[in-house]
Amino acid sequence: MFHDESNDVYSIQTINLAKSFRKKKHKGIFGFLRKNEKEKPRGHKGVTVALDKVNLKIHTGELFGLLGPNGAGKTTLVKCLSTILIPDEGTAIINNFDIRKQTALVRASLGMVIGGERTLYWKLTARDNLIYFASLYKMPRRRIRERVDELLGIMNLLDRADERLEDYSTGMRQKVAIARALLHDPPVLLLDEPTLGLDPTFSRQIRSQIRKLSKKEKKTVLLATHYMEEADELCDRIAIINKGGIVAADTPNRLKAMVRETEIVEVVCYNPPQNAEQYLKSLCPDVEIITLIRGEVTKGSPSRIKLIGGNAEKRIGTVVDALRKKNTQITSLNISVPTLEDVFIKLTGAKLAEGGDARQ
Amino acid sequence: MTTQSLEMYSFKANLQIVWSEVVKNFKFLMAYPVIFVFWTIFPFLWFIPFVFQGQAFVGSLQSAEFEKFAGTPDYIPFIVIGAILNGYVLTSLYGVGESIRREAYRGTLDYLLSSPCNKAFILIGKALSESINSTIYAAIQLAVGIFLFGIEITIGIILPTVLIIFLLILGLYGISLMLAGVSLQFKQAHDVAHTLEYVFYVFSPVRYPLGSLPFWAQVIGRLLPLTYALVAVRSIMLLKQNIMGLYQEIFLLLIMDIVAILLGFYLFNWMEKRTKSSGAISHY
Repeated sequence: MFHDESNDVYSIQTINLAKSFRKKKHKGIFGFLRKNEKEKPRGHKGVTVALDKVNLKIHTGELFGLLGPNGAGKTTLVKCLSTILIPDEGTAIINNFDIRKQTALVRASLGMVIGGERTLYWKLTARDNLIYFASLYKMPRRRIRERVDELLGIMNLLDRADERLEDYSTGMRQKVAIARALLHDPPVLLLDEPTLGLDPTFSRQIRSQIRKLSKKEKKTVLLATHYMEEADELCDRIAIINKGGIVAADTPNRLKAMVRETEIVEVVCYNPPQNAEQYLKSLCPDVEIITLIRGEVTKGSPSRIKLIGGNAEKRIGTVVDALRKKNTQITSLNISVPTLEDVFIKLTGAKLAEGGDARQ
Repeated sequence: MTTQSLEMYSFKANLQIVWSEVVKNFKFLMAYPVIFVFWTIFPFLWFIPFVFQGQAFVGSLQSAEFEKFAGTPDYIPFIVIGAILNGYVLTSLYGVGESIRREAYRGTLDYLLSSPCNKAFILIGKALSESINSTIYAAIQLAVGIFLFGIEITIGIILPTVLIIFLLILGLYGISLMLAGVSLQFKQAHDVAHTLEYVFYVFSPVRYPLGSLPFWAQVIGRLLPLTYALVAVRSIMLLKQNIMGLYQEIFLLLIMDIVAILLGFYLFNWMEKRTKSSGAISHY
């Protein structure tokens, strides 16, 4: 843990952390002997900026959310912090250890859930998996047995501890993955999409575990997610990440207050036109952002069109008339309460679900 | 953190990592019991081509011409030792590199590489698992050789033979580390392993005595640790030579072990760093 001038105590700090990926180019049979193409400038064609000089400070014991669409850089940040990736520039301090210079101590301070249920040995039992991974953390054998039983108990898996993971459900395997992150009782947890692909029951259970780890066990948790409800429900503070950069970091309420002043009109409807966003934008140029989140036809869920900012409220009539002309069935019209999705759209112009650009 | 830091550097904890890796691999083996069909049948089938070959060329399994090069007229004991030691080469070449590729495929490699332990102990555990498999297999082959072809084993030759095999395995672990590095960078080391397998098989005296090879091939053969291990083990088991007389072979094996292990560690660490920089670490 370290302090800054304000005397706050932090467990994670990133300092100008940057990472780019170069598109693979065939360099011939002995190309691997050549130097990595690090010299290629950022912004060069074929270079994807995954992290753009990220600066974050996460308090000790804080549950900190990293919210962004797929491809925003969340996993890259988690992988850099966990020392799986070496950053191009900058560094990070975790539990007082530098990820570049004190890798073993950083790794001993961290527990991570990344990549979900696939990252376990399905041919082994839950108990065997946990015993094996605990041995990599150099815990004494007797302590391993006790800790594994304790964690299997916490995860409600004790009665099926000696079954192979191939016979487990996705949610149960995810619980084993979380138990693995806790084996050595690390002070810092990195959780990358821990509820991805889980049904609502298991998602709720996992979220409840995460809350307990933060509030009762005082662990510092970095939760990377693209589920805004998850981030809103769990996190003390949230950083919104897009295209590798942090666009805002604050408490959920303060973030939402950023758009509270802004008018948000939501049109719930079925069968909106294909190019609804461009079509409505051409009719209402004085509305800042218009987004469409399509409903799933197979599930019968409605689509939602949001008008954010500008003269959104004054344009309701125009929008309703225009949609009706296109045979869209409108079921309700709301002046909505801002969500983190709205914050994200307001700040980036992109939608969380798609990572597209709503302004275009 | 204090307790954890202390635990991190203990020798016992490193042995525990090696042992956990061996246990894990053994449990994987047990999860696919069809391997026992191979272990039961193959040692018997393996001998048959050599018996037929020997009878077709010289009419029996003994040859005076063969004795001129090998020091023994018996072809089958000669080939059994060649096969057993070559078995260690094969498992070392294919086992560790392939295991790394499988870890990446399963998604577990990230967790192995982000654990605070020294990765060398995980790799040693993987290599040791392969050596144990080879030893079980070799024991079956040897048993068949003893009962069907009259290979003689005395108590006195066991310890020197084990020592030579141990020295061979150490060098092979170095090669395993190099191939694990190749596997990290290129996602499969199979083709490199396949090429090396044939280099060992052709230029080391696995199926024929070194003296029967042309000079240039003998030079290449003498650069390979398997050559010295085969010469030493055959001298002990077939020619009943004392281990003290084999100091040259033992010395050269030791030198090759040190070079291979140092080179193996260096190459693995280099490749790990490269793949962590390029972001290709968990690709497969």
